[in-house]
Amino acid sequence: MKISYNWLKEFIDIPVDARTLGQRVTHVGLALESCVEFGDDWVLDLDVTTNRPDCLSHLGIAREVGAIYGTVLRRPQFKVTEVSQRAADVASITIDDADLCGRYCGRYIARVKIGPSPEWLSKRLESLGVRSINNVADITNYVMMELGHPMHAFDADKLGGRQIIVRRAEVDERLTTLDGVERRLDPSILVIADAKKPVALAGIMGGGETEIVPSTTNVLLESAWFNPLSIRKTARTLGMTTEASYRFERGTDIEMASFACDRAAAMIQELAGGQLLKGTIDIFPRKPERARITLRRERIERVLGVPVDDAIVSRIFERLELQPAQTAQGWTVEVPAFRVDLAGEQDLIEEIARHHGLDKFPSTMPPSRGFGSLLPGERRVRQVRDTLSAAGYNEICTYSFSNEQMERRFYADIEPVRLRNPMTEEATILRTSLIPGMLTTLQWNLNRGARNLQMYELSKVYWDGGERRTLILGACGNLRPASVHEPPREFDFFALKGDVEDLLQRFDIPVRLTTDNIPNYYHPGRFARVGHLAMFGELHPSYAEPFKFRQRVYLAEIDIELLLRSSTSHQLEQIPRYPGVRRDFSLLFERGTQYATVHRTIGEAGIPEVVRVEPFDRMESGPFPDTKYSLSISVVYQSAERTLTDVEVEGFDKKIIQRLEERLGAQLRK
Amino acid sequence: MSSEWIGQLRSIEQQFDRERESVADLRSLEEFKNRYLSRKSGLLTLQLQNVRQVPAAERAEFGRVANEIKAKAESVLEALQQKFAHAQADAALERERLDVTLPGIQRRIGHRHPLTQARQAIEDIFISMGYTVEDGPEVEKTYYNFEALNIPASHPARDAKDTFYIADDVVLRTHTSPVQVRTMEKMQPPVKIICPGRVYRRDAADATHTPMFHQFECLLVDEGITFSDLKGTLERFHKQFFGEKTETRLRPSHFQFTEPSAEVDVSCPFCNRRGCRVCKQSGWIEVMGSGVVNPRLYGFVNYDANRYTGFAFGGGIERYHALKYNVNDIQLYYQNDIRFLEQF
Repeated sequence: MKISYNWLKEFIDIPVDARTLGQRVTHVGLALESCVEFGDDWVLDLDVTTNRPDCLSHLGIAREVGAIYGTVLRRPQFKVTEVSQRAADVASITIDDADLCGRYCGRYIARVKIGPSPEWLSKRLESLGVRSINNVADITNYVMMELGHPMHAFDADKLGGRQIIVRRAEVDERLTTLDGVERRLDPSILVIADAKKPVALAGIMGGGETEIVPSTTNVLLESAWFNPLSIRKTARTLGMTTEASYRFERGTDIEMASFACDRAAAMIQELAGGQLLKGTIDIFPRKPERARITLRRERIERVLGVPVDDAIVSRIFERLELQPAQTAQGWTVEVPAFRVDLAGEQDLIEEIARHHGLDKFPSTMPPSRGFGSLLPGERRVRQVRDTLSAAGYNEICTYSFSNEQMERRFYADIEPVRLRNPMTEEATILRTSLIPGMLTTLQWNLNRGARNLQMYELSKVYWDGGERRTLILGACGNLRPASVHEPPREFDFFALKGDVEDLLQRFDIPVRLTTDNIPNYYHPGRFARVGHLAMFGELHPSYAEPFKFRQRVYLAEIDIELLLRSSTSHQLEQIPRYPGVRRDFSLLFERGTQYATVHRTIGEAGIPEVVRVEPFDRMESGPFPDTKYSLSISVVYQSAERTLTDVEVEGFDKKIIQRLEERLGAQLRK
Repeated sequence: MSSEWIGQLRSIEQQFDRERESVADLRSLEEFKNRYLSRKSGLLTLQLQNVRQVPAAERAEFGRVANEIKAKAESVLEALQQKFAHAQADAALERERLDVTLPGIQRRIGHRHPLTQARQAIEDIFISMGYTVEDGPEVEKTYYNFEALNIPASHPARDAKDTFYIADDVVLRTHTSPVQVRTMEKMQPPVKIICPGRVYRRDAADATHTPMFHQFECLLVDEGITFSDLKGTLERFHKQFFGEKTETRLRPSHFQFTEPSAEVDVSCPFCNRRGCRVCKQSGWIEVMGSGVVNPRLYGFVNYDANRYTGFAFGGGIERYHALKYNVNDIQLYYQNDIRFLEQF
């Protein structure tokens, strides 16, 4: 709300300059947005919260200023001179729907002279960002800025039957509003109609036909009260926000309507001449009772932390025109019609806090009870993050929104959560997996010159009926780039596998790999899974193509909730006291023999002293037939009871080699 | 008195002293040593073997001088031996000298996302003050997102312009406040929780808005909780998060679920209240909304509004992180450019 400092001073004495005032009112809840010089005046832009429509006017702001500085509010003074002819004899006003229109005041001014506003008026409006139109229209705007009450002026001669009927629109009625747009109406919309048709959207905008124009001579002034909900709904339906609707939908002062009407009429007389017909046509079906609120004194300390002197409380209430009556237990106040926000005891405590000053209350720490804790499982989630950091993965955070077509490429069977009102066609659902976000992020970075990427995201995915956290790893390029010290090491399937293994082993989960149920977005020959817990491998080239990846991309999908649940606690394994013996073998196997089979076969030899088996070299070709390949394996034997003898070790060797020869047709290379 | 015999000894000694100057390394030292002390042909050795030819009267003196020279020669040779051995070892090390200014072989250590770092930091501060972390669904019923927070159906905050709707009564939560209601439904006071999480608003993305962002909200409801406790808690939190110099200021405002309500400002971390571009010369920066829990809320969760009071506040995790590290565009958090991520 823009406020003219000079105008404000007409209603209240202000002992400080404009800028200081702006800073001061900030501390009663009217945040200063800006304060700029305008000729010999200053314009303050104050942020008025939605609960305080009474502050959408100079008078309302002046009341708050008076409460701050203890100065006395001066209402605008004016004189109304009426002719003997009665307005009610010339025009008629009817309210058909008293729920939506609580009051309607009309005044009739005959033989006015429409023309430009005097300079002081147009300048004042201009300083608040309101365009000057003509004297009558400007006066309605002026009164709105002054008293907070929106007004409207009709060209009375264009009102059919000189009649005002406040009613709901009929189905498919049309009205062309002041902005030249033809509006299609329906019965949810309240209109001001004449005898035949709608002439204005109640509380929002007037119609073009009854607009005040230079040739207008007779004016019917409207000063009404409309139901806030109805105005808000219509404004939303039609996508219109005006200064009037802004105020009506927050709640205007129903008692102010007739005063505002008189004020505008008096100004019109003064600035546009004309004769003011006798009397206000004031249709006020049900005058609402003023609410009374009781405040218990002890609640002030209970809510705010320290008591506030009775005298201070009473003074704040008086200055805010709440008419306080002090009782033994506290106060009873009467809520003026302009304070639509005051409904309960807590609202009064807020008024005390605001005007006494939030800085007056000490800072204390609440009494300590209970103990703090992380979300269940969060400590382990932090371990997951630490493990991934140590393995070189950067964490990413992508939007939950996604593109349905893209999601369906990966998880076609999941029914997604659909947004009714998405912001763009590219983001109509919530993601069903973290894959598109990961691939898009890799692409973003590759397009900006990065080459070697390892990233992860640990976040939620969604489906119709639920949401859960999950984990994805994505990588491409080199694990270690070439340097002056060593050649590059490419990030490959086994680098990814090692990272997955590290993560699972951190939680004591045995890694039992299978290669079944390969999702079609993985390379069929470079994929493995650990049950439902983890799937990982190289992205299938046809799925990589839309992203224009020029290098191989690796993905691992890990069910983090399952990972956290399968975690077990383990106990110390004794450190061996006797040395182990390492033996190396080079063997030829048939092509196609998997290492897992070799490993398992060694296990089947049934030697408890075998504590470690590791492959350390593999040759695809050499001095052996093409149908074979060579694999070198080291085996470590160790006993918990004693040092093994040469004879025992040789016996183990023989047993293993024999087993491999018999079962897998292996040949020991000499 | 000195005889010819002793004269010969002395002349060998002088020769020894002269020649030792030209011994340059371990190899020439070996030759030098042999020339004087070799068992078969060393000059001193031979002299000592002559002792029997020395006249008896001189023999004692001869023996003494010879032994003295030999001892001296041996000690000189030992010293030289040590000197050259050290020099040789030093030379061997010198040959191994590296250009230590070449870069080290660093393991690539990954970075947690800045928002994760900020969230963890915030969680840890509140846990140290006795709060429990809670979470809840992001796809939320309008009842929890609005009604139970004193935002009735008619309230403009429920507009489809600002809120993502899934169904008439289901939205993407617009704040983490529903978690507060869900928690209060589950238990009676004391309730002392912090709820961080993703929230959604239909804002077009720009430097200060994204349609999805992260919030954290704090709620404390118990007997005897006051506005002063809210002030003290906010001050403590900001000192922990931004640094001990940070000051906190409250300004009256309005929110549906708190009353009295206050906007929370912190002293500008960039200029320490002197005024700069970031704080638009005001010295203060608005960081969150706060207030005393509106007793109307207790009606929704069956709390005794006469017995319990509480406070709540909430802020954006992006905003807190951005303010601490001078990030001028919050869209950076969602672009995930590694040149950004790796700075934290």
